[in-house]
Amino acid sequence: MSETALKRNRFGNAMIHLFFALLSIAIVAPFLLIVSVSLTDEKALVEFGYSFFPSRFSIIAYDFILRTPGALLRAYGNTIFITAAGTVLSLLITSMVAYTISRRDYRLRVPLTVYIFFTMLFSGGLVPFYILMTQYLHLKNSLWAIILPGMLSPFYVLIMKGFMGKIPHELIESAKVDGASEWRIFFRMILPLSTPALATLGLFIAFNYWNEWFNALLFIDSDRLVPLQLLLVRIMNTLDFLRNNSEYIQSLGLDMSQLPNESMRMALVILVAGPMMFIFPFFQKYFVQGMTVGSLKG
Amino acid sequence: MKRARYMGIVLLGLAMLATACGSGSGGTASPSASGGASAPASASGGDGALPEVTLTWYYGVAQVSPDQQLIEDEVNKIIKPKINATVKLKPIDFGSYTTKLNTASAAGEKFDLVWTANWAFNYDENVKKGAFLPLDELIDKYAPETKQAIPQFTWDATKHQGKIYAVPNYQTVISRYGINVIKEYADKYGLDTSKVKRYEDLEPFFEQVKKNEPGIVPFMLVGPLTKFHPFFYGYDDYGVKIGDESYKTNSMEESPEYKQFVELMHRWFEKGYINEDASTVKQIDSSYNGKFAASIEYTMKPGYEAEIKAKNGGRDIVGIPLTDVTTTRTSNIATLTAISRTSKNPERAMMLLELVNTDSKLFNLLSFGLEGKHYDKLNDNTVKTKPNGGYIASNWVFGNVFNGYLIEGQAPDTWEVTKKLNESAVVQPTFGFNFDDTSVKAENANVAAIRAEYEPLLFTGTVDPAEYLPQYLDKLKKAGSEKIQAELQRQLDAWVAEKKKNG
Repeated sequence: MSETALKRNRFGNAMIHLFFALLSIAIVAPFLLIVSVSLTDEKALVEFGYSFFPSRFSIIAYDFILRTPGALLRAYGNTIFITAAGTVLSLLITSMVAYTISRRDYRLRVPLTVYIFFTMLFSGGLVPFYILMTQYLHLKNSLWAIILPGMLSPFYVLIMKGFMGKIPHELIESAKVDGASEWRIFFRMILPLSTPALATLGLFIAFNYWNEWFNALLFIDSDRLVPLQLLLVRIMNTLDFLRNNSEYIQSLGLDMSQLPNESMRMALVILVAGPMMFIFPFFQKYFVQGMTVGSLKG
Repeated sequence: MKRARYMGIVLLGLAMLATACGSGSGGTASPSASGGASAPASASGGDGALPEVTLTWYYGVAQVSPDQQLIEDEVNKIIKPKINATVKLKPIDFGSYTTKLNTASAAGEKFDLVWTANWAFNYDENVKKGAFLPLDELIDKYAPETKQAIPQFTWDATKHQGKIYAVPNYQTVISRYGINVIKEYADKYGLDTSKVKRYEDLEPFFEQVKKNEPGIVPFMLVGPLTKFHPFFYGYDDYGVKIGDESYKTNSMEESPEYKQFVELMHRWFEKGYINEDASTVKQIDSSYNGKFAASIEYTMKPGYEAEIKAKNGGRDIVGIPLTDVTTTRTSNIATLTAISRTSKNPERAMMLLELVNTDSKLFNLLSFGLEGKHYDKLNDNTVKTKPNGGYIASNWVFGNVFNGYLIEGQAPDTWEVTKKLNESAVVQPTFGFNFDDTSVKAENANVAAIRAEYEPLLFTGTVDPAEYLPQYLDKLKKAGSEKIQAELQRQLDAWVAEKKKNG
């Protein structure tokens, strides 16, 4: 009796393992294909197509990209700057706004919360946004055009507010009695108490900045200011776009050899995505820790 | 236990968070909507000494080049003494071009020249939105040579309600429909390409390939590129039978030729002559190299076989034309340059266009860069571009390509032959007529959606027309195809009357 149950259990486990093994393969396989293509000789690609093992091994694509690494390095620099500056500023402003509207003794907290919530439902739309950014703030061709729009997200403010609202009001009052100024209360008490929420939001904000390319597409003309993702999107999008419109372009005789060839594109994907893929697992540990710390306290 | 529950809650919260940022991070800044575009400044029409101006020129490129600034400086050295203007070149990659320009144009950003086409930053849509200035007078006054170099039908193709809104970048404007056969197989199975006049003539050849060449698809089709070609059957693009003086439009889908075509394709599909994934493949790219024996070709322009050979992994091909050389509106508006309604100096912009279209030095500089640095001259008129030279652009986004250099591999007389072909093209009776779908917009969208669903299936033979064709016709009717047809006929009649009146 118990033996059959055990057997059934073992069978169930095997199925679960099988399922996740297949899932993992499905996730990893395309990436391996990209690695393989990036390491294949371009001529072999043209002749035999894609395959999981390079039909003719070549590192010329990497060699070519890394010989003039200027554009790639600059893009990394831009993205790192955007992510670092953006995340710090965004966390600071988000937590300040959230703290203000979480204070029970603040008279305007309800209207302000509604005001912030309102922007989640309605936005001005793309064109007014573009006009504001280019004609009033004159942010065309500036990295601030990428940092500013992502700086204050109403959704994150509300999450932060929820977290900070749970900090006992008596704590703030007692600090006040002890003679602490508002700034001191915020920076020395509230922020340290909110570390778990800050860590979680920080992760998401950093991701958003790291992956941001649409604002860059709209506002960045200069090649020196292109962030990493836009560099990639441009190349991939252009190729897809030309492919999908081949009906019209055929007669124009667009020289496709002007575009980076297959193996070079794939090598670029690896060079753009690769470092993050190795770095992320290490960081993830800390973020997960940060989250669980928060839950234990509550 | 308690810990696990909390973790669950946190994870759930995180999941919600993740979906929320995925979907709604677009409008985070909540910009206050303020003010529309400012009115364009009144044109400064002062003759005599031209005041110095700066023009902005947006155009598409495959990839933005590192040496862009260098080219801009050189261009300005040429144009400054001639029209006392400098130009700010703004190349945008094709993939971002439409989004970027649509936004900039809607926001009323100031720029002067802008590249447009029927496949990127759509010309017709933007004319209707009023994004461009009408150019007839400017062309007559400032660009007479450009006007003269381009045939009348190409100008007609750009017209909206009788007005020109963009200057065509004149290039190959012909369309000739046919079949490409890989020479290796044609020779092996003794296909006499000169005898092929219809699709059916290829059947014995396909049969042989199917039988003797395992793994080779006899006839490689791709969904979006496989079309029923009315001109091949003696109709023009609006379904008017060529030579029909009454200009009666016919619904192509209901014609016997259409039925015959889809039935043939289905028969071939059933026999395995056509690739199984035909309805979903987007383009024959390098991954299909060496896996098929024949494919469809749309623009059999002079020397195209050499171009295809390179893409095909070095296999020679033979082109079999199935139709006469014709010209369609589509191929005439595939690349144009317009002047934005926000331009402060439309006159000067037109002068610059005239320069680009007549001064071959300037045109070559824009298209190919600097000699020695970005290209080498093989002879007087042919160049070899350096792939890593630091500057690449497409000559056809700037102006009349016949003024420029040829690229290595093109025959020395390519331009002459192409020009002649362009001028000899059969101009279809309704050429220049442009259907205005404003009154049947909803129907048109519905019909287009149904077409997009059925056409790739029917044309590639993937489904049985006995079952799907009647179903398709029925759906088209329900979507309002008859209403569109009636509106088309009404507009066409008016157009014909107008044309007759003007002689």
